[in-house]
Order: sequence, then C-alpha cells, then structure tokens
Amino acid sequence: MGNCLKSQGSDDISLLQGGSDGNPAHQQSRSESYSSASPMNESQDHLPFYYPPPEGSHGNQVNEENQIRIAKRIGLIQNLPTGLYDGCKKNQESVSLDSICTCIICMVEFALEDPVRYLPCMHTYHKKCIDDWLMRRLACPSCLEPVDAALLSTFDTS
Amino acid sequence: MSIGRTSNGSVLLAKRLMREKRDITENAPEGVVFSDSSDSLMRWNVDIVGASGTLYENERYTLRFKFSAAYPFEAPEVVFVGEEVPVHPHVYSNGHICLSILGDQWSPVLSVSSVCVSILSMLSSCKEKKKPPDDSAYMRYAPSTPRNTTWHFHDDDV
Repeated sequence: MGNCLKSQGSDDISLLQGGSDGNPAHQQSRSESYSSASPMNESQDHLPFYYPPPEGSHGNQVNEENQIRIAKRIGLIQNLPTGLYDGCKKNQESVSLDSICTCIICMVEFALEDPVRYLPCMHTYHKKCIDDWLMRRLACPSCLEPVDAALLSTFDTS
Repeated sequence: MSIGRTSNGSVLLAKRLMREKRDITENAPEGVVFSDSSDSLMRWNVDIVGASGTLYENERYTLRFKFSAAYPFEAPEVVFVGEEVPVHPHVYSNGHICLSILGDQWSPVLSVSSVCVSILSMLSSCKEKKKPPDDSAYMRYAPSTPRNTTWHFHDDDV
C-alpha cells in the first residue's frame, strides 16, 4: 500500500532559485514578465535606482556553490549538438513521423531552419525549449535517458 | 545562452495551454470529460469517470489543474476537488494525490490528457478502496498545495 510521507526540500528548485539570485539581469527579466513579488521588486522599494544593480552587488546573498553548479550545467548543455531543422530527414526509421516533426515541449511543429538541439538519445527539441528543461533536469523529457552520463563518456574518450 | 524564463516563456506557456485545451476538447481520452467552463487559462477543471469493471465504475470526480508560469517545465498542481474525492490509498482526504509524475518524475512531454489517463489508471488498478495509511497525519500538517510536499513513492502497484 502506498505509504506517502512528506518531507521538505528539492534540489532542482534550489538550483534555479540560486540562478536567479546570482544573475541580476535574469532577475530583472523575470520580474518584468511575471509581476510577482521578487527580491528585485523589494529592493526597488527601498533604493532609488530602477536598473539592475551591477554584477556582484548581490555578493552577500549569492550561493557560490549553486553558481558553480549552474555554470557546470550550462557548460554541459552547450556541449550537446545543435543544428537548424532540416525537415524530418534525421532518424526517420526509428521514430514516428508525428513525434519527429513536432517539438513535444511546446507542441509546435518544427519549421525549417528552427534552431534545434539533438540529445544523445537522438530525440530532437527546439533549442530554447530543451535548454530551459535541461537547466532543471539533465534527462531527455521523452525517454528520461540521462544526458550527462552520455556526455561524460564522451569527455573520457576524448 | 538564456538559462531562464524570458518573455519567450510566457508565450510558450499560453500557446501550449491553448493547444492542450483544443486537443482535450476535440480528442478527450476515454473517461475524461473536459467542459471549458473556467474563465482562466491557468486553472482548469477536468472530470474523470471510473472505468467499467473497476472499483470506481461510473464514479465521477473532478480534478483541478493549476499551472504555474513555469509550465510545462514544472508539473501542474493537480488535486481532486468537489464534495467527494475517491477513497484510494494514494488520495488524501483533502484531494492531494501521491503520484510520482506530479512530483519529481514530471516531464514536459506529459500533458493534461496524459495526467488524467494516469490518474484513471491509478484508480483502475486499485484492489481495495482504502484511505492512505497516513491520511490523518498528513491532514494535520498538509501544506495548502501538494507542490510543497515532497513525496516518497513507495508502491507503483496500487
């Protein structure tokens, strides 16, 4: 029987929150897009400036460890191959037509020349869509194949 | 590289939700009834009807989906609402559902439709109508949203 207990805390979320704390420009764009209460809004209440503070002024709050993790993850993601969508030519044998012609994250069909990223499992997504997901979890959304394992083996052999 | 949500994020969110709404209206899976009554794109009510030959045959329940600005990168908040919630080992009396895909096993390839199908199949495979063993304890401390609960998933058989 299910014995569902609760506990607190989640790694992936703390990573993202650390990301927004560490990058004032990013924070600014968030507070613009989603006018929810954010640290940026609070600081605007007290301080006379309306522009993102210069890099480093959040120094006290920055969790250095998180920043390193984010930087490493960005590095990993950038090592994944990208390309421009060329019209369903790739992997046609193994996957159904529908799933290779549509980015399953935004559910929009690929258009020619859309920037796409190829994962080691050969699943393809819009670059913008998959990069956002990979910052949260380093696994293919379709097959849950871990992305970093494949990348690390690439580094070992090179 | 953009690591977070830009204005692109909210466009993606709205487009995807409208697409999902169209899909579920035109092509609802068996046992899933969606009537577009809510005025908000970010909050939907979907009815599910227990499959025939199961303990929940013809029982009708309402699920409330709430989408955060980070959808589809974050799981929606899904709870049973209404006067009655199903008596099931993974459903708490307040409507919270202990289901891995609504927590750390969420993937952006999942959708409102597929979540409804998963919940229906969770009901269908139940052998005995029983509340979760820790229901009363959970009810005492339950956060207002199940998204603040980190679940431990013990058993996928029920």
